[in-house]
Amino acid sequence: MAFSSLTTAAPNVNPNKSFEVTPSPSDSISSLSFSSKANHLVATSWDNQVRCWEILPGGSSQAKAAISHDQPVLCSTWKDDGTTVFSGGCDKQVKMWPLLSGGQPSTVAMHDAPVKDVAWISQMNLLVSGSWDKTLRYWDTRQAQPVHVQQLPERCYALTVNYPLMVVGTADRNLIVYNLQNPQTEFKRIQSPLKYQTRCLAAFPDQQGFLVGSIEGRVGVHHLDDSQQSKNFTFKCHREGNTSTEIYSVNSLNFHPVHHTFATAGSDGAFNFWDKDSKQRLKAFSRCPSPIPCSTFNADGSIFAYAVCYDWSKGAENHNPATAKSYIYLHSTQESEVKGKPRVGTGRK
Amino acid sequence: MGKKKKRAVEKVFCYYCDREFDDEKILVQHQKAKHFKCHVCHKKLSTASGMTIHVLQVHKESVTKVPNAKPDRESTEIEIFGMQGVPPEILAAHYGEEEDPSAKMPKVEAPPLVGTTVTQNPLGVGFPPAYGAVPPVFNPALSVRPPMWPMLPRGPQQPWFPPQQHLSIPVPPAVPTLAPQLQQPLFPIQNMIPGTSAGMGLQPAFQVAAPMPPPAVSQPLFPIATSTVVSGPTNNGSSSGLVNANNPAGLAGVSGTATNQGLQPYASGPDTRGPSTGAPPEIANKAPTPANQLGTSEVYLVWDDEAMSMEERRMSLAKYQVHDETSQVSHFSLCFLSNAPFSVIYCTVDFNVASKIRYNLLDQIYALVRKLDFLENVPP
Repeated sequence: MAFSSLTTAAPNVNPNKSFEVTPSPSDSISSLSFSSKANHLVATSWDNQVRCWEILPGGSSQAKAAISHDQPVLCSTWKDDGTTVFSGGCDKQVKMWPLLSGGQPSTVAMHDAPVKDVAWISQMNLLVSGSWDKTLRYWDTRQAQPVHVQQLPERCYALTVNYPLMVVGTADRNLIVYNLQNPQTEFKRIQSPLKYQTRCLAAFPDQQGFLVGSIEGRVGVHHLDDSQQSKNFTFKCHREGNTSTEIYSVNSLNFHPVHHTFATAGSDGAFNFWDKDSKQRLKAFSRCPSPIPCSTFNADGSIFAYAVCYDWSKGAENHNPATAKSYIYLHSTQESEVKGKPRVGTGRK
Repeated sequence: MGKKKKRAVEKVFCYYCDREFDDEKILVQHQKAKHFKCHVCHKKLSTASGMTIHVLQVHKESVTKVPNAKPDRESTEIEIFGMQGVPPEILAAHYGEEEDPSAKMPKVEAPPLVGTTVTQNPLGVGFPPAYGAVPPVFNPALSVRPPMWPMLPRGPQQPWFPPQQHLSIPVPPAVPTLAPQLQQPLFPIQNMIPGTSAGMGLQPAFQVAAPMPPPAVSQPLFPIATSTVVSGPTNNGSSSGLVNANNPAGLAGVSGTATNQGLQPYASGPDTRGPSTGAPPEIANKAPTPANQLGTSEVYLVWDDEAMSMEERRMSLAKYQVHDETSQVSHFSLCFLSNAPFSVIYCTVDFNVASKIRYNLLDQIYALVRKLDFLENVPP
């Protein structure tokens, strides 16, 4: 699908003809984040850097600034006012970087193990970070001590916030739902509807439920209300092959901010847009030669950014640092790709 | 408009403009000529949505209203063909049983209203009671901004409020009647397509007679997939139960919530059965051993390590193990269940060991454990 004819004996690294963000990081990208106020894109990478680009209309990108951590950076998020970026990683810290004002980064959070995911809760003016040390910590960026430490049953693998809904996915397939109006109590703890390790989460824009993606090429759509349980379902995606089926991990789930359809990106190097209400795939894109570990929409949904680089899904053996390349691409979304559709097809009604 | 009302047989009528006809064939011709005709090239299509898709694809124009239709019947979303697809309330209203055309409205529009009005209840329903009583612990720390914490305005709709008809469901045809009874109607898979019960018998004919241009724009991936269900055992192991994807009855035993047979089969995610109960009986919660369990085609997970995530594995590389004595977690228990009932093997690894060694140790333990086939549930 994705491989063009081999003129240069290399697979087409950009089969979707997306705009490339340059200069690209030197090592795998772990997270991508757009500001909600402007087309500023931040990417964190295994080369310890957090980089920021401004995306100009027309798709070109201009590198703006970068900071570094001491160890690979795993997650990033913007503050809601679009001025500050939080990034956390294997140095067990979360740094706050007021980049729009040209400020220097400062450490605002500490954990006992790498910080896997971080989110800014504007309604509470707090930062929440989840780590492999099995805690969720809430931080007021002005204080060194966390406002609250929430114990998790296992290492945090994924986090999604859409006030007041917060869902944390941990190892052992636990999914813990919190009502941020009462964050000290778990609202609900369920075992993931997917039978395999949780990889990513995304809260519905209307906070009625969430999506969960696993390493087994499957996404679950889960509603919180028991009365809506009948609407829960799972579906398979990011699988490949006829004779021998390879099942790839779903690495990222992102809702389109306007249409509330969502995108999935997987280790197979492909990304798809789906509509959960009509249960259809809206658009499938060509596979890239490397996995897509992370992706995101910009604030108005016109740009879908995704990274193409090795995500370690096949272990260390398949990583050749000399030849491995990392790319960040921007796809300009068309309305037909991201707008939900009423269900068509045989026998509806 | 209508000629006469009371006759031996009820006359068919056009949903869009309420005209009555002697028989359905004439009704269909009328619809094609008046409502499903492309205004650009005058091609007659067979349904409203077919016409909108034709206009969109061929003339690149968006049609939002059915031509020549009455003001509240102009939606292109509702699928009408002859008398098929007409919502029961309209039928009832037209034939004079109940003057209640507004019955349709609440289901579609009420949710937003309902959601906003009911601001108080849900708290009692689902939430821990602390809504009113803001956990005091937080306040001191947050003395800098008290107003943020407690009682945030419940502006956004009620999270997780039960009776709300789910907002995000757009109005697929025939939604209104569906709301309470047949929960998720939208699934194409089997022929038992929920839809309005009124329309049920008509569906075969409907499908035949409705040659809509293939909806090339979207691909219904989720459903059907019977073949993939078979070949994908690793998903949930309940392949045995699920292979007969067309047989909802078979599944009802598997899942707890049997109300919506339409759902399970294809989703093949036994999600509907309240995940907290664990997996369907037989296959249970066996930690999915990555190996394929199916003879016919090989299926394997590209990343199959349940014990750690890709990032953790990468971090275990020596080059990232700079100095880890700051690790404070004290120890770490591995618990393996064996098949023999009630026997559990515990293994405790002390975390003070530098993490590099820790991970290697873990890998070795797992390798060892996996050799011992009888063990299940090898967790992190």
